[in-house]
Amino acid sequence: MTEERPYVLIIGGGKVGYYLAKHLIERDYEVTLVEKDRERAEWIEHQLGSVIVMVGDGDEMSFLATTGIERAGVVIGCTGDDEDNLIACQLAKRKFKVPRTIARVNNPVNVEVFTSLGIDAPISATELLMGLIESELVGSEMVRGVAVKSSGASLVDVALPNLSVLAGRRLKDVALPDGAAIVCIVRRGQPVVPRPEEAILPDDELIVYSRQMDVEEVRRSLS
Amino acid sequence: MKISIVGCGRVGSRLALALDQAGNEVTIIDERVAAFDRLGNDFHGNMVVGTGIDLGVLRRAGIEHADAFASVTNGDNRNLMAAQIAQVVFRVPRVITRIYDPIREEVYRELGLETVCSTTLIADLIQGYVVDGVNRAHATPAAAEPAASR
Repeated sequence: MTEERPYVLIIGGGKVGYYLAKHLIERDYEVTLVEKDRERAEWIEHQLGSVIVMVGDGDEMSFLATTGIERAGVVIGCTGDDEDNLIACQLAKRKFKVPRTIARVNNPVNVEVFTSLGIDAPISATELLMGLIESELVGSEMVRGVAVKSSGASLVDVALPNLSVLAGRRLKDVALPDGAAIVCIVRRGQPVVPRPEEAILPDDELIVYSRQMDVEEVRRSLS
Repeated sequence: MKISIVGCGRVGSRLALALDQAGNEVTIIDERVAAFDRLGNDFHGNMVVGTGIDLGVLRRAGIEHADAFASVTNGDNRNLMAAQIAQVVFRVPRVITRIYDPIREEVYRELGLETVCSTTLIADLIQGYVVDGVNRAHATPAAAEPAASR
C-alpha cells in the first residue's frame, strides 16, 4: 500500500460506485464503500473481496461517523440522486473536515449548483457523454473539448474540414482569443511541433489550449 | 407576498391553501400532477409540475421574484438541496425547510439555513403530555395552565 494515497470513501454502490471502487483498489487505494441496500452490499463485497463495504445511509451523520470518514482524504458521492450526493459531500466537508469532495451529478444543470454549494469537483457523466456523442455526430469537422482538471481551461481538438479557410496559413497568422494557443498539430496521425512558421495543411488536426469560456470563440476563429 | 413551495403533500398543500387564502401569490411545485388534487378547487395559485431541485423548474415557478420559499417534500436531502438553491443561487430573502432527521437539522441550522424539524417538535409535544398532562398541540392559553382541573 502506498503511504501517500488518500483513504477514499465512496457513497453509493451502484454501477459507478462499484466500478470506481474496483478501479481504485487495483491502484492500491484504501477504499470503503457505503451502500444502503444490504443485498447489493454483500454482492459487492463478494466480488471485490478486499474492499470494506458498509451498509448504511451515507447521509446519516451517526452512521458516517463509524466509517472512519474523519481520516478520509476524499469523499465521493456516487449515488443516482443528486440531492443525496450533495448532502453526503456537504456533511463530509463541513462536519468531518474532509479536504476534498467529488460528486457525481446526474442532472447536468446541477454542476453549477454544486459548485456554488461548496462541492470541490462536481462531475456530470451525462455532460461528458453528450460532448463525446456530439463530437461523433458532427464528424471530423468539429471539436472535442476536454476540461483540464478544474482549472477552467480546456483542450480543444479541431480537425479541419478540407475546404477550411485556414489551409496554407502559417500558425503565427492564425488569430485566436487571448490566452489560447495551438499546442500541437496532428498530421496524418503524427504529432507535429507547432512552430510559428508551420503552414496548416488541409487534413491537419489542431489541438488548442484555451480557457473554458473561450472554447466557442476558438471554434469560431478556426472555422 | 410571492411565495414558492416545493412539495404538495399534506404539509405543502395545507401551507399553500392557507397562504393563498391570506392573499399571497403562491406557486407550488410537485413532481406528480396527482399531488395537486390535495389543493381542491379553492386554490388560486400556480401549480408547476417538476422537481424542486432543478433550476429550470424553479425559474418556471418564479423563484427569481419570490419573497419567501419553503421546501416541504418528504425527502430531507431534497428539501435541503432545494432550500440551498433558493438561498444561495436565487437569494430568496426568506427560506425555510422541513427536516425529519434532527441531526441533519442541527448541522444545516448551524450553517445558516432556517429549519423546522417535525420529529423533534412532535416528540417534544408528546413528551409534554406524557410528563405534564398538557397537550400543547391543542392547548388554548386558558386550558394550558391548570391542567389538573380537567
